[in-house]
Amino acid sequence: MLSSFSVDGGMLLAGIGQTLYMTLASALLAYLIGLPLGVLLAVTAPEGIRPLRMLNTVLGFVVNVLRSVPFLILLILVIPLTRAIMGTSLGPSATVVPLTVAAAPFVARLVEASLAEVDQGVVEAAWSMGASPFKIIMKVLLPEARSSLLLGATIAAITILGYSAMSGIVGGGGLGDIAIRYGYYRYETSVMFVSVALLVVIVMVLQALGNRWARSIDKKASAPSGMAFGLFGSGMPLGGRKAEKIGQSAVPAENKDEDAAT
Amino acid sequence: MPPILAIEKLSKSFPAVRAGDDVRALSDIDLFIEEGEIFGIIGKSGAGKSTLVRCINFLERPTSGEIVFNGVCLSSLSKAELYHTRQSMGMIFQQFNLLAQRNALRNICFPLEVAGWDRQKARQRASELLELVGMSDKAGAYPAQLSGGQRQRVAIARAIAANPRILLCDEATSALDPETTHSILALLKDINARYGITIIVITHEMPVIEQIATRLAVLDEGRIVEAGRTSEVFAAPQSEAARRMLVRPQHEDGLIAAAARRYFESQGMALEEVIRDYAQ
Ligand SMILES: Nc1ncnc2c1ncn2[C@@H]1O[C@H](COP(=O)(O)OP(=O)(O)OP(=O)(O)O)[C@@H](O)[C@H]1O
Ligand SMILES: [Mg+2]
Repeated sequence: MLSSFSVDGGMLLAGIGQTLYMTLASALLAYLIGLPLGVLLAVTAPEGIRPLRMLNTVLGFVVNVLRSVPFLILLILVIPLTRAIMGTSLGPSATVVPLTVAAAPFVARLVEASLAEVDQGVVEAAWSMGASPFKIIMKVLLPEARSSLLLGATIAAITILGYSAMSGIVGGGGLGDIAIRYGYYRYETSVMFVSVALLVVIVMVLQALGNRWARSIDKKASAPSGMAFGLFGSGMPLGGRKAEKIGQSAVPAENKDEDAAT
Repeated sequence: MPPILAIEKLSKSFPAVRAGDDVRALSDIDLFIEEGEIFGIIGKSGAGKSTLVRCINFLERPTSGEIVFNGVCLSSLSKAELYHTRQSMGMIFQQFNLLAQRNALRNICFPLEVAGWDRQKARQRASELLELVGMSDKAGAYPAQLSGGQRQRVAIARAIAANPRILLCDEATSALDPETTHSILALLKDINARYGITIIVITHEMPVIEQIATRLAVLDEGRIVEAGRTSEVFAAPQSEAARRMLVRPQHEDGLIAAAARRYFESQGMALEEVIRDYAQ
């Protein structure tokens, strides 16, 4: 049918806006909770700078439980909470609540993994200069992991974007909502295709920007940050843990903990 | 004058990895380091050298015994006091351990920030130190852009930035070629002469000790088996371990014999036995 090509541009533009708004707002809130939580997880781990077995186990357990609830179920489970906070469970602003709840523990794990990658030798050097655990966190762990943290944030944002599209099922707004309403309920496949294509483009742009930014602030890679990562060469947006290392120079073997190496 | 550092009856054990006896890394170490000297500690791999330096600044807590630094028992200190005390104990490492995301100048600022210096003063001091270690032109370079020798120079500047009384060097030249090693040791000697900073050099390389140490101790299987003035120990090593570590083979045959001895010993055999078997 020819009319199926008449796609409402205004509606799609609004959809893009809502999707970006939901993604960025949720990512911000998720980091507000997940960043300190991730630092706590990394610091209290057995090989962290302030091992605290009980706290680490309990936190890790809570994070695991939250992360293992499928997002669609979480979406429904937190509806009462969403209503309590936002007054409604519909629309982009309301969707920020379940997105934040779902993303925060994920962010915590991403942050934890980034901090765990920091060279143990550098941490040891900081101890030897009389740094306290707090100073090591602020002046060593976070700054040294900044490139990896940024890549993690890109992954988090893209994951949240995917979830936000899923929330279209319950009227969450954004491109996913449009795709489901028109494509699934009304068989207007062209709208669905365009919405999905837009989601793909947003994901690619986010990943490419994240990669470039992360490379440009990473002083560990001795080569100057170049254009090697093109817009489309940077894929694997939803690749989870592995994707974290994209664009990062391999940690040379000599940078391992020196007592373990000698 | 009392020693700047006294290591008294120091022992360190690590819990067994699997079921079994604990790993006894250090046993009954007694050492007195005088203010202003360069003290060498030599031992082969696994002798306990790293464990010993890490006990000196309490990165590792001794199982028993005491570290007395500048008249203070480290075990009696609270955490905050220990952090403060560490600011007077510099340390450099085999792998340099510079902050990868900070340039040379800001790496040197790190201990000063930790010690609460104001930003401007810290930068000023860091620049002076860069000059001292001959790296003024590399202030803005990141560690990844520096050679091993240059990194160690920055690490030395960082280690002495907060005016420590003592500088601990754990295999500080082991990742460097002989020429660079020589220049780094010359720098350490210069720093010792200029500022009177006491230096403890830990190594498995005899030439390092020979070039820099006024006194030395030989560490073998977690024990001090010999100690004394460098010239005297080199001239007449008393222990088997000292002979193994210190005597420089005079020619190629000697080198081969030394290598063979080391190899067969690592296999649990004595060279003499192997030679006897071979001769039959
Ligand atoms: N954290 C640890 N846990 C268990 N065992 C350890 C630990 N650190 C060191 N050891 C053991 O203590 C002994 C001494 O190790 P140490 O690293 O001090 O030797 P080293 O003289 O520095 O050797 P190298 O020259 O190879 O660096 C070794 O047997 C080692 O396996
Ligand atoms: Mg060692």
